[in-house]
Amino acid sequence: MNKEIEKLLFNPIRLKTISFLITVETCTFKALLDVTDSSKGNLSIQLKKLNEAGLIKIEKYFQKSYPTTDYSITKKGKKSFEEFYNQLLTYK
Amino acid sequence: MTKEEQLNVINNAIKQTKTNLKPMGFNLIFWSVVIIAMSLFHYFFPEIVQYSYYSAAIYWVSIPLIGMVYTTYYNIRSGIKIGYETQLDRVIRIIWSVFGLAWIFTVGISLVYNVNPVQDVLFLLSIVLIMTGLIIKFHNITIGGVGLLIFTVYTYYNPGLNLLLVNVIGITFGMLIPGLSLYYPKADVMLHYFHVVEEEEEL
Repeated sequence: MNKEIEKLLFNPIRLKTISFLITVETCTFKALLDVTDSSKGNLSIQLKKLNEAGLIKIEKYFQKSYPTTDYSITKKGKKSFEEFYNQLLTYK
Repeated sequence: MTKEEQLNVINNAIKQTKTNLKPMGFNLIFWSVVIIAMSLFHYFFPEIVQYSYYSAAIYWVSIPLIGMVYTTYYNIRSGIKIGYETQLDRVIRIIWSVFGLAWIFTVGISLVYNVNPVQDVLFLLSIVLIMTGLIIKFHNITIGGVGLLIFTVYTYYNPGLNLLLVNVIGITFGMLIPGLSLYYPKADVMLHYFHVVEEEEEL
């Protein structure tokens, strides 16, 4: 297991985000705010870190002239989460 | 965080994903009401609907197309409101989009060859309802779809039946009643549904 990924997912907000994104196709920032129960600023920082690590994909586009952002998990994110989860289960 | 806490965080985050079935219930009710109202209007006022060679075709194509535009708008809006799309939502969306395309194709072909598309559309609809019911594990929709399929097969062997009334009866039992039970579910049905979903998520 990649130590960097393990360190990244040690943060509860990042872990909640990845865990939620693994069950959905796409989601909005507001949905992630509800799930992670965090502030907008903090969540934005954590999402940026996950995006930089290649675990999530951020898509920005305009919908009826309003800027919209969709978040989804990448293949790397799925693989990393599965490895992380399986490793956690071995400690049980 | 301990490993135990991490596992709890993961499980709690996953449990927050629930497929919202109300929009699908609304879609079924909306289309049932539209088709039943159109069939009854055509049945009682044929002189208005069939006043010229193409008027019936225009009637049966234009109103459903307006309905398609409206339901697409409604589904996009409800999707934005919910804020996320699950894999199940995506599968259902694709299945019904394919049905929409198949409906356009069937109606187009029937216009070219001057045949009534009701039986073919009902057959397609019953298959899509059965698939939807089985995928979301909602028995009322599966039963409605099976009932509609049996009814459609029956109409093939009884060509004398009035296809407008066939439409009304088939759609009422195959789509309207299951749609209402999905839109206004009994509490125990929803509990059962979410219990099934949670079991799958844990797996």
